[in-house]
Amino acid sequence: MLIRRVIASLLILPWMALQAEGDAPDFNREIRPILAENCFHCHGPDEKSREGGLRLDTFKGATEGGEFADPVVPGKPDESELIARIYSKDPEELMPPPDAKRTLTEKEKKLLERWIASGAKYEEHWAWVSPVRASVPGNKPVDTFILRRLEQEGLKFSKPATSGNLLRRLSLDLIGLPPSPDDFERFSNGGDYEAEVDRLLASPRFGERWARHWLDLARYADSNGFQADQLRPSWAYRDWVIDALNSNMPYDQFTIEQLAGDLLPKSDLRQKIATGFHRTVTCNVEAGVSPEGNRMNQVFDRVNTTATVWLGVTLECAQCHDHKFDPFTMKDYYSLFAYFNNTPIEVQPPSNKNDVSHDFVGPYLDLPLSPEQQRKADQLDEMIADLTREREKLNEGSESEFVAWQESALASLTSQPKWQAMKVTAFQSSGGDEHRVLKNGSVLLTGKVPDTATYTVEVETELRDITGFRLETLPHPDLPGKGPGRGDAVRPNFVLHEFRAALKEGGKERPIALQKAEADFSQKNWGVAGAIDGKAKTGWAISPQFGRPHQATFELVEPILNASGSKFVFQLLQNFGKGRVIGNVRISAISDPSGAGSLPPGIVAILKKSEGKRNAKQVENLRSHFLNSDPKLVRLEAQLARLKKERSDLKVDQTLVMVELEKPRKTHILKRGNFLAPDVEVTPGTPTRLPKLENSSNRLDLAKWLVRRDNPLTARVAVNRWWAELFGNGIVATLEDFGTQSEPPTHPELLDWLAVELMESGWDMKHVLKTIVMSQTYGQSSRLTPELLEKDPRNLLFARAPRFRMDAERLRDNALTISGLLSTKMHGKPIMPYQPNGLWRQTGRNEPKWVEQKDENRWRRGIYIVYRRAAPYPSMVNFDAPDRSSCTVQRPRTNTPIQALTMLNDPAYVEMALALADRILTESKAPNERVNYAFGLTLGRSATPREMKIIEELVRSRGEYYRGNQNKLNAVLKSPKFFYNPKHENKIELATWFQVANALLNLDEVMTRN
Amino acid sequence: MNPNPFLTQNRRAFLQKTGFGFGSAAFASLMNQDAAAATDQPLAKLGLHHAPKAKRVIYIHLVGAPSHLDLFDFKPELQKRTGQLCPDEFFDLNQLAFIRKQPNLLGTPKDERFAFKKCGKSGTEISNLLPNLQGVADEMCFIKTLHTEQFNHAPAQMFALTGFERFGRPSIGSWASYGLGSENQNLPGFVVLITGQVLGAGNSAFGSGFLPTIHQGVEFRSKGDPVLYLSNPDGVSHGERRVVVDAVKDLNQVALDDVGDPEIATRINQYEMAYRMQTSVPELMDIKSEPKRIHEMYGTKPGQSSFANNCLLARRLVERGVRFVQLFDQGWDHHGGVFDNLPKKARQVDQPIAALIKDLRERGLLEDTLIVWNAEFGRTPMAQGTSGDGSTQSKAGRDHHKEAYSVWMAGGGTKPGHVFGETDELGYGIAKDPVHVHDFNATILHLLGIDHERLTFRYQGRQFRLTDVHGKVVKGVLA
Repeated sequence: MLIRRVIASLLILPWMALQAEGDAPDFNREIRPILAENCFHCHGPDEKSREGGLRLDTFKGATEGGEFADPVVPGKPDESELIARIYSKDPEELMPPPDAKRTLTEKEKKLLERWIASGAKYEEHWAWVSPVRASVPGNKPVDTFILRRLEQEGLKFSKPATSGNLLRRLSLDLIGLPPSPDDFERFSNGGDYEAEVDRLLASPRFGERWARHWLDLARYADSNGFQADQLRPSWAYRDWVIDALNSNMPYDQFTIEQLAGDLLPKSDLRQKIATGFHRTVTCNVEAGVSPEGNRMNQVFDRVNTTATVWLGVTLECAQCHDHKFDPFTMKDYYSLFAYFNNTPIEVQPPSNKNDVSHDFVGPYLDLPLSPEQQRKADQLDEMIADLTREREKLNEGSESEFVAWQESALASLTSQPKWQAMKVTAFQSSGGDEHRVLKNGSVLLTGKVPDTATYTVEVETELRDITGFRLETLPHPDLPGKGPGRGDAVRPNFVLHEFRAALKEGGKERPIALQKAEADFSQKNWGVAGAIDGKAKTGWAISPQFGRPHQATFELVEPILNASGSKFVFQLLQNFGKGRVIGNVRISAISDPSGAGSLPPGIVAILKKSEGKRNAKQVENLRSHFLNSDPKLVRLEAQLARLKKERSDLKVDQTLVMVELEKPRKTHILKRGNFLAPDVEVTPGTPTRLPKLENSSNRLDLAKWLVRRDNPLTARVAVNRWWAELFGNGIVATLEDFGTQSEPPTHPELLDWLAVELMESGWDMKHVLKTIVMSQTYGQSSRLTPELLEKDPRNLLFARAPRFRMDAERLRDNALTISGLLSTKMHGKPIMPYQPNGLWRQTGRNEPKWVEQKDENRWRRGIYIVYRRAAPYPSMVNFDAPDRSSCTVQRPRTNTPIQALTMLNDPAYVEMALALADRILTESKAPNERVNYAFGLTLGRSATPREMKIIEELVRSRGEYYRGNQNKLNAVLKSPKFFYNPKHENKIELATWFQVANALLNLDEVMTRN
Repeated sequence: MNPNPFLTQNRRAFLQKTGFGFGSAAFASLMNQDAAAATDQPLAKLGLHHAPKAKRVIYIHLVGAPSHLDLFDFKPELQKRTGQLCPDEFFDLNQLAFIRKQPNLLGTPKDERFAFKKCGKSGTEISNLLPNLQGVADEMCFIKTLHTEQFNHAPAQMFALTGFERFGRPSIGSWASYGLGSENQNLPGFVVLITGQVLGAGNSAFGSGFLPTIHQGVEFRSKGDPVLYLSNPDGVSHGERRVVVDAVKDLNQVALDDVGDPEIATRINQYEMAYRMQTSVPELMDIKSEPKRIHEMYGTKPGQSSFANNCLLARRLVERGVRFVQLFDQGWDHHGGVFDNLPKKARQVDQPIAALIKDLRERGLLEDTLIVWNAEFGRTPMAQGTSGDGSTQSKAGRDHHKEAYSVWMAGGGTKPGHVFGETDELGYGIAKDPVHVHDFNATILHLLGIDHERLTFRYQGRQFRLTDVHGKVVKGVLA
């Protein structure tokens, strides 16, 4: 029943109670929500859907009244048509009309009556008015405002949190990691709180923690989203955010650089990287997508996200119609749209027709080599230089050998042995076609053309000491298109997938190994080497050189040294299909032990020229042919080639950025938000209800306007979000919406004070955070008394510190720190720690692949884990991490059994438990101190007697179990999922404490920031 | 009162989300009840908008979009005019994903294998490619005139399943879970079963958008852990696990006594439920215990990952009180070779779906279980794959088509053996009774006892709903 009571009590919180009858109701808090919810839909700012010409969102509209005489008569509810209508019994007359499915409660009707009676005053919605700093006595503004309200409600601050608790809270809030044992020690021994605050604000871990918060807003991810969801590089932007937060970049500059860094005069590399903020949008490269439609969706997202992040308003409605509740028109929307409408298209139909996706063509920026890459590059350059010098030396030394080789090669040419065609004794085609042997010793295929065929050719020859075979494919007038293929007259190609030779001896066939396949011509990607590589898919083809003879030569690995003639069997496998088979074929043999006969025809031609007539290129060819026959040089060349490839693979990384088109696009209002239905043209401009921006043209103007001192929203929206990060609730509970439908601020003066302080401190985020965490409000205990639960269950008044389950990244980082595994390595490409197998394989295509990192990268902070939208890191998803497909202002905070399973069983957390057990055992040698040591590590305090007893019992029972079941030890401690290698040698103790550590990591208090 | 722990999200977050005054809170506004009556109980426990006809849904989404023209919507005229150039307006006015020059018409082949048969007493026409479904035609209620606004897969999937073509909105299963909760203490209210790759819309197709994540579809997998992290760490038995979970419970109880935060009590419950799930989920997923007759009926093989197995699992899930089971089956995007590929896919799903209908009927579950067959769009009556000389290629396929396509429902208060709506003679546009995606979704919610206009959630300053500001219940399909 607790729940029901809590909720019921919420509804009648004393401080929410209405003023006594007769007082004028507060327009913004009490009246506007009623009108907005029930009336504005038909009687609001949206002109198109306005009924009867009546608008109730302005005093003028309500009193002048369109088609109605007197909708609202100030001071006279009895004469006001509005009051008559809301009480009407006639369904035709009743407002809101029954089909609107909205009804006013009696209380609401009374409120409206009293409001009119008291003069029907309209007030500007608070958020559209610039914040003014209220004066506060003393130097504790936060506490003054909070306390003032508490006292009104008869409440007071809770007592201060314990020192350990406070330091843990502060550390988790500011850097997202728990304090170390040393930190706890120092602080509990009279450490200075302010010094701790300064230390944490200055820590490089600060940026990593607050970047998580910002990157949710920026919907940062490492993939495109949609169908294939391929990865794309944006991590330099993520690193930019971390660095900007660490350096406490003023929030106005932080804003300008992300929205328009590219347009700043002489913008530097970092300012361009910052514009990655709006390149994080999803991008649909699905085949068949409309590139322009995709671009429009991206611009919509940029407009909506900008409005949510800086202005805290939901503009999305005005995409299709004037906003129903807030003073934003379609014209406002598309005027804002115009600022973002000038970046290039980001997808285009595929350049390669076989591709199933569109090309992703949005602008990239080249990054400089990272220091690590630079070191590697220098090293490679040096090795390449060394090898090049070595090669030159070898070349020089071999000059005389080169001359000698030329002479001998030339000499052998004159007595060059000749190819001799072998006599065909049998021929068979698996295609069932016919054949006849021609006078020139070739076989001509006739009759039906088979799809595929294997020819088996048996031959005999008198030649001795055979060193090579030659296969000729010849044209013939009987072949379609003269051949040499049989398939069709236009493209008489053939594909010889495999050429096999065997020696026939005494009725047996002994396969002959062939090498050095060379052809006079080979089709691209169909080199002749493919005919002897044993692979079914590669082979030799000759398109487009149809209608002429071609030849391929093959060298025997072992010459056949025989005294008399030999018989051979050849097999020609041609499996391409569509009749791509040879039409006329001849096989010859050669005996050429010197090897000169195997010189390629090109080299032979050069050799035959006299030395003076060879041009430089020819000499070079000759030299390289000679050098290639030197094994030492060949090895050297291969090594060089490998290094050069490695060097060229060391490409600079890239990141996605905004680039403005030289010629801006025209922007139109789009009917119903449809880009195929443009209406009137609009020019860039900011919403009319907000402070005016004159003569603006581009994103830079817009960005500067957002952080102008008279902008009523930007600073408030920012400080409210930071407050919510620290207190669980915003001062305005609807962090994402400050519009008229939002919840009114619980502490309006505090909100404005903080907003003004932010602006006047030079947009100093760390200063504002410090101001908040230095307050008594922040430092209270989070203990929940029945009185507080009754009076303020949502903790809207801050009479206690909040306690809430940490977000996904902090849970991971916290456990990594406690276990001692955390790697503080910063920046760079996204990481892939453990995740269950196969999750990415299922998501689309074969790429990208999840490759679990088995090094320190697996223990880096959650912020660095690759964010793939279709399949974000599952254990973080289970703790409410969004898929980052759109801007997330506030993550939900659920408490589910799936979370329990994750914390208990996710092998990543299980490995942390093992490391924690090892840490406890190696760092705390005295068994009776271990429980307290473990509590110190995980929670910064010692165990209470009750806790001590529970843990000691667990240690006892687990110890007993493992002593009795030592055969089970390896199954637990040697899981293949572990990469961590524990140092503690006593396996029974290790397994026992592994269970304890697993339990500790699952404690509510460990998962909670309290 | 023992609220379903799956629905008991963090109360603080709940209150935060549902608003300041409960007058605008989701459940209360649903109910049009006084704010004081509101609790975090789902609609189902509080009373629905009207009496539900369906208590649970098995929603089959054929990913890629099957050629409805060759399965359900036979067009003799189209068959007759196969090979003729399509009318100009089919090409000029249509946004086509792949076809780039005016295509030819493509009818169903005049071949007995592809012939349509009038089935059952209702005489509903179904292709011979689906012989088993032909046998249960009298249970099926067709809509032949569903139409959508998106013609690319991912946006169309999101539009069909979340009512919005871009990311960020809750899926229909999440809305149902939000409205109805789960009837089973040990299982989530919304379970997803997938064969083939995950669809293009990714997790968003069954995500909870801005609704509490507790309502997102939980994928039960056929390989590895059925629910991620369900298995204990290597070498740790279920019994040993109990000891650790007990220690966690006792320690959390100490914290609860000290701090008094009800959130800790919830966490203690969730750990208990997690422990129970470690038994209940594998038991659920293990179909070995089903009798031989059932395996023969569905064509299931224990241990396999198949669409048939998922159909049987769907029955086991709804039997155990899961509200919304969604099956995704990939591989229906037949741009080429549609007459080779469609029969293969049809064969995979025909027997198990027919078995599911019969099985539910035998168990008396069909009357209050709604089965849905849907896809993100249909396929064109024009051929994709026209040769240079204007002839249709032998391996032609069909492109994406958003103007009209056929879907069907069975059970759960739909009119059995009924056909609603009619396309024109070429199957391109609608001749009678159009049904928009929003209408279809409104109808599904209606069958569940929910008024789609009143199932809302406040976010970013306004009330959101599955059907945006559109949608009319299709009365013509209600029994």
